[in-house]
Amino acid sequence: MKFGHVFKETLRNEGFPPEWVDSAISYSQLKKCINRLTDELAQVGLNPSTLGTLLKQVEDYNASTEQNDDQDRPFEYILAGDDSAGLPREHRKPFHPKLLFYVDEATGEVHSAKLDEDTRSKLQMLAVATGVSQLRVYEEPDQQSIASKDSVDPPSPPGGVNSASGIRKRPGYRTVEIPLTSDTEFFAKLTSQLSGLEALQDKEEKRMHAQIEELGKQVAHLTDPDKRLNKKLIPVWRQIFQIYIESGIFFGTTERDHKAHDADKAAQRFLEFSDKIARQGLVEKFKKPESLQALNSFMHVNREILQGLRFGQINHMAMLKILKKFDKQTALGVKSTFPKQIEFPEFSEHLAKAVCAEVNTQVISHVPLLDDYSCPMCMELKWRPVKLRCGHVFCIRCLIVMQTNKQHKCPLCRELTVVDANSANLDLELADFLKKWFPDEVKAKQKYNELMAGIDQYGEVYKEKCNVM
Amino acid sequence: MALSKRIIKETQRLAEDAVPGISAVPHDDNLRYFDVTIDGPSQSPYEGGVFKAELFLPDDYPMTPPKIRFLTRIYHPNIDRLGRICLDVLKSNWSPALQIRTILLSIQALLGAPNPDDPLANDVAQAWKQDEQAAIATAREWTEKHAKP
Ligand SMILES: [Zn+2]
Ligand SMILES: [Zn+2]
Repeated sequence: MKFGHVFKETLRNEGFPPEWVDSAISYSQLKKCINRLTDELAQVGLNPSTLGTLLKQVEDYNASTEQNDDQDRPFEYILAGDDSAGLPREHRKPFHPKLLFYVDEATGEVHSAKLDEDTRSKLQMLAVATGVSQLRVYEEPDQQSIASKDSVDPPSPPGGVNSASGIRKRPGYRTVEIPLTSDTEFFAKLTSQLSGLEALQDKEEKRMHAQIEELGKQVAHLTDPDKRLNKKLIPVWRQIFQIYIESGIFFGTTERDHKAHDADKAAQRFLEFSDKIARQGLVEKFKKPESLQALNSFMHVNREILQGLRFGQINHMAMLKILKKFDKQTALGVKSTFPKQIEFPEFSEHLAKAVCAEVNTQVISHVPLLDDYSCPMCMELKWRPVKLRCGHVFCIRCLIVMQTNKQHKCPLCRELTVVDANSANLDLELADFLKKWFPDEVKAKQKYNELMAGIDQYGEVYKEKCNVM
Repeated sequence: MALSKRIIKETQRLAEDAVPGISAVPHDDNLRYFDVTIDGPSQSPYEGGVFKAELFLPDDYPMTPPKIRFLTRIYHPNIDRLGRICLDVLKSNWSPALQIRTILLSIQALLGAPNPDDPLANDVAQAWKQDEQAAIATAREWTEKHAKP
């Protein structure tokens, strides 16, 4: 299937908001521009294969180190506007590409041996008509006024390559611009659409920001540990968020997979996440409508991130495809240079990154996760928490085990801080926090610690006695 | 003795978030006993080899380090004929905050950077110091002979 068709179908069927669809890259219009441009070129005798050969020569010429032979360098295609690329989009100069060729100043003779007669005479006509017709002579930009960005280039010899524009001044020759309008139109359209996408992204980000903030407040309210009614729900939220984090929906979290995911992969991960919380019966545990509503809104935010990712991706693809088509039909070779000049707004990745970060800080962070409060040694809840002089915190059971085993140094920083720790090192503030947020885990760990203390004192028999009781 | 939360967690993470080039799978009937494989690091004489090892977590783990031994024959100045490994973090430099995965990573790094000045296999270390090129060639031969999957 042709991409144009796939693109259209995707825009129609993925359920994107109409405003998004309107802002999408208009692939078919751009395609028409390209067709018009092909016609314009054909009128001056430049069909893609002729032009391709000529520009290939330019490329080879640019690549060769000995730039002393002017004979085979008849054309340049310049994507102007480069010097404004770093500016904010609205301040950038309009794109005005130029197709230039060299002619003998006196005769108007086109400077290339490789042109066929027909093309040559057509171009010569164009050149001779310079000054009396619509043909514009391209004025050399002042060499001094252009800051040389490509400082890798050696300083240009007089009359040599102007590194910023790529134009070469040659005695006895002048550059003549081929009058093309469709390419300017093409690039104007494309850049304005990219600006549109960027503006849309900003808007969406703001909208989602507000939405996430609201959701964060809701979750904070529903998981307030001081409210007795929430007691049973906190572990449910915690489990959901734990699974959410482990699912690594938009970004991988493992050694093998730690990059941003594309839309397909993210969608698949999201599905796995939904499946998992469904299978564990977590949704049913929410009896109150407010809880269910908050969960729905959490899922919705994620679906929106996914959709943004997919929309950005398909538009990026459309841009690459249309540039490829431009090159194929005109042989002007812009695909490799264009994206450097005006980059595609990173709708997908940027939005996903920003919004995910917000989901983390505004929503998930309301519910402390067990992993963040587990003892680095036993990996259970660090109850009771003991803060060593070095600042590292362990559970009291592990501290006792370390001290009886003459492990004097802190396992994390190897400072001698275990040996002199005592009850003054108990972190009471953290203890309160843990009791509040992890009441069940505290109870279990407390029981275990007592059991182990009994065994320390009375030996293994204590365990059996204890179990009987 | 019941398996600690720590061992359960470590085992889970080894399976779910595996380190490239390293595997560690516990035995069904003894969850403290692991079958380990370590891929030879690239650009080392062990490249292309897959080295089997056994790892055991003693009762007082993590107060004492895991016990680990190569089962595949390997020509290395810090690994002896019985597969025992001379590595500081497995002995004096062990810390209870280290884990199975960090230890296996250290061993993989040791394969990439043999240290003949701190030898366990004296004859190999001697050979390594006298003629490093020849020793590397031997290590490569052994990899070819014993460690090809
Ligand atoms: Zn502990
Ligand atoms: Zn410390």
